[in-house]
Amino acid sequence: MINGNLKADYGADERVLNNRNKQLFVYGSMLLLAIFPFVAGDYAMLMACKMGILLIAVVGVNVLTGYTGLVSLGHGAFVAIGAYATVVFSNLFSGLPEGILPLIVIPLAVIVSALVGIIVGLPSLRVKGLYLAVATLAASFIVTFLIEQDLFAPWTGGVNGINTPTANLLGWELDTKREMYVLITVLALTTLLAAQNLFRTRVGRAFIAIRDRDYSAEILGISLLRYKLMSFAISAAYCGLSGALFAYFYARILPEQFELDLSLELVAALIVGGMGRTMGPVFGVFIVMMVPELIKIAMGAATGGSLELARYTGPVQEIVFGLLLVTFLLKEPLGINQITDRILRSANRWPFARG
Amino acid sequence: MTLNRRTFLATGAAATAAMGAPMILNAQPAEYVLGASLPLTGPFATAGQLVAPAFALAQKLFNDEGGIAGTPIKFVTEDSGYVPQNTLANYQRALATEGTALVGYFADSTGAMKLIAPELKGENARLMGSTSFASELANPETHPYQYLSGPTYQDQFDILMQNIKNAGGTKIAIIYSNTEFGRDPLEHGRATAERLGLEIVLEESTKAQGADIPTHVTKLAQSGAEHCILQGYVTGVWPQLIGGARQFGLPVQFHGTFWGMEKLIADRITAEAGPFLAGYQGVMPYRYFYDREDAPRYEQYAALSKVMFAGTPLENYMSTWAIQTMCGLELAMKALRDTAEAGKELTADNVAESLSGIKDWDSGGFFGGPVSMDNNKIGTGRVYEYSPETGLFTPVSDWLST
Repeated sequence: MINGNLKADYGADERVLNNRNKQLFVYGSMLLLAIFPFVAGDYAMLMACKMGILLIAVVGVNVLTGYTGLVSLGHGAFVAIGAYATVVFSNLFSGLPEGILPLIVIPLAVIVSALVGIIVGLPSLRVKGLYLAVATLAASFIVTFLIEQDLFAPWTGGVNGINTPTANLLGWELDTKREMYVLITVLALTTLLAAQNLFRTRVGRAFIAIRDRDYSAEILGISLLRYKLMSFAISAAYCGLSGALFAYFYARILPEQFELDLSLELVAALIVGGMGRTMGPVFGVFIVMMVPELIKIAMGAATGGSLELARYTGPVQEIVFGLLLVTFLLKEPLGINQITDRILRSANRWPFARG
Repeated sequence: MTLNRRTFLATGAAATAAMGAPMILNAQPAEYVLGASLPLTGPFATAGQLVAPAFALAQKLFNDEGGIAGTPIKFVTEDSGYVPQNTLANYQRALATEGTALVGYFADSTGAMKLIAPELKGENARLMGSTSFASELANPETHPYQYLSGPTYQDQFDILMQNIKNAGGTKIAIIYSNTEFGRDPLEHGRATAERLGLEIVLEESTKAQGADIPTHVTKLAQSGAEHCILQGYVTGVWPQLIGGARQFGLPVQFHGTFWGMEKLIADRITAEAGPFLAGYQGVMPYRYFYDREDAPRYEQYAALSKVMFAGTPLENYMSTWAIQTMCGLELAMKALRDTAEAGKELTADNVAESLSGIKDWDSGGFFGGPVSMDNNKIGTGRVYEYSPETGLFTPVSDWLST
């Protein structure tokens, strides 16, 4: 018997947080996020900001891979486009008041990323699975290659990279990590909520239909051309936003920051967290960012920070992290979201059977 | 004012507080920390692992000498995987955990230096050395806290071209990797060639590794170059490019810059692929470790290496890469010690001022003679030639300065 889940009207049934435990979890997390900058040290702030930026990009990958079933190994390129577009537009519109610049530049960066996303998404109409992954990978190499070219160096800085502007929101200069944390957290929460709600709309349900069986979806009247490209555009837009924040967060950007490593990190975070679930990216990013740090701290403590052992601990850390991921995927292929689901479900039914 | 017991005590307490407060505020740490990022994993793991032991040696040596004005130092090294972002994160982690005890940092790539440079502001600024010889960094106005422990790549090109000119060369080719490292001295090199009356007959860009060699060798043959300068490679193209050119029967004289001058690698390639590196020349800012005559500092390193690295290849030889790191650390220590001896706080501004004030420094063997920091670099070096028979790089020029 399930208790505590009585829905007396449709409104109650449609709520995102449709039971007390979910509310407690989400509102509790938001409260912690609000308190965090007042108690956290500089390094914790740095990690939190990096996680927030990565989270937005992983939410983007989730829209495409998790919900629409299209695999991409090139989303690092959209982050790059968002970041470089932010710098290019900031320099282009440098005559405008600084306080309103991010309000113009960020949406423009997001739009440019979305447009490039549509172009990159075109092969998805003809190829699927691994073939699409390779096509997106190629697109990512092309983007990095173009950024590095001397021809575009006056705008992108070429292989040397380029210094980025400081975000200024209506006169509030976000020149510390603590201030950037506010912007990043607000945008990360907004994007999460937007992604959650996207899949309660006609468009989101079309994405899911395509993921589950694209032929059937087409027979049901869903235009594959329109919705696959829309999925690419939305996904790239999220990554573009992540890139814009990346540019504002770091004082300088280099093309090598957006190469294959970043694309793989995005996909790894999504798989670990749980594909096609709203909270999947949150858990995935947490694991991908925090576990290597914890391993590093543990190894440092175990070896006493020994210089002689430093040459061995570096590779060992990577091996341990890799093994952890493999073990995890073997034991829980549906990601951490599945585990938290089980916990929340059993809390919801307590003291009755966990089911 | 009458001085009674109460006002005496109050005045005394206030005076003590006034005198003591700055000491509490500027409390000296029990040990100073110098952080470092090294590529212990990733594409340059070989270099990182060869350099890592140098930090252990430096820590022992500097502490035996009394650290910084009696306060011991500690190196905290971390892996970066040769990813600039990781180096930045390592630096920020060191800043957050060590606070004011962190007085310097050693970064492991040009990319990392450029990425961190704009972050070095106010409380977050520290003196920063690195493995890089990038020309852009040798500018105290834009990079006040960063320094090079030798000449820039542009300086190295100048030295090479001057040496080619002195040897009567007229036509040169430049083959470079399509990376920031490869492109760094190109424009400057063109200007130097023009000034010296050398003709650049070929400029060829390749991948950093696994370049499509036959094409490049053919182009080199067609260009008619007498000398070819390789820039932007660690070692990746020696067997293919130089070996390929020799097979082709090209009499071109090959030249390299600092990262293409390591004896261990040259020896390994000679053992594996034959003696085609005979006559290979390049710029080296420092003396090789086996050249220890009148080099008291090198002798100290050698004595310590014998004890600390007994039974390993490092027992008798210190790689050029480790020498560069040691030179960077020596410079940082000199700046830190000079600052402390002048009675100043070890803030980044004070230490950077001491560093740029280093004049006629007797390095104890690294360089040909006393050197000075000029524009946060030391613009000197000399040309060495490799001999596969002896397995040694021997000097073929005097010390040349720019």
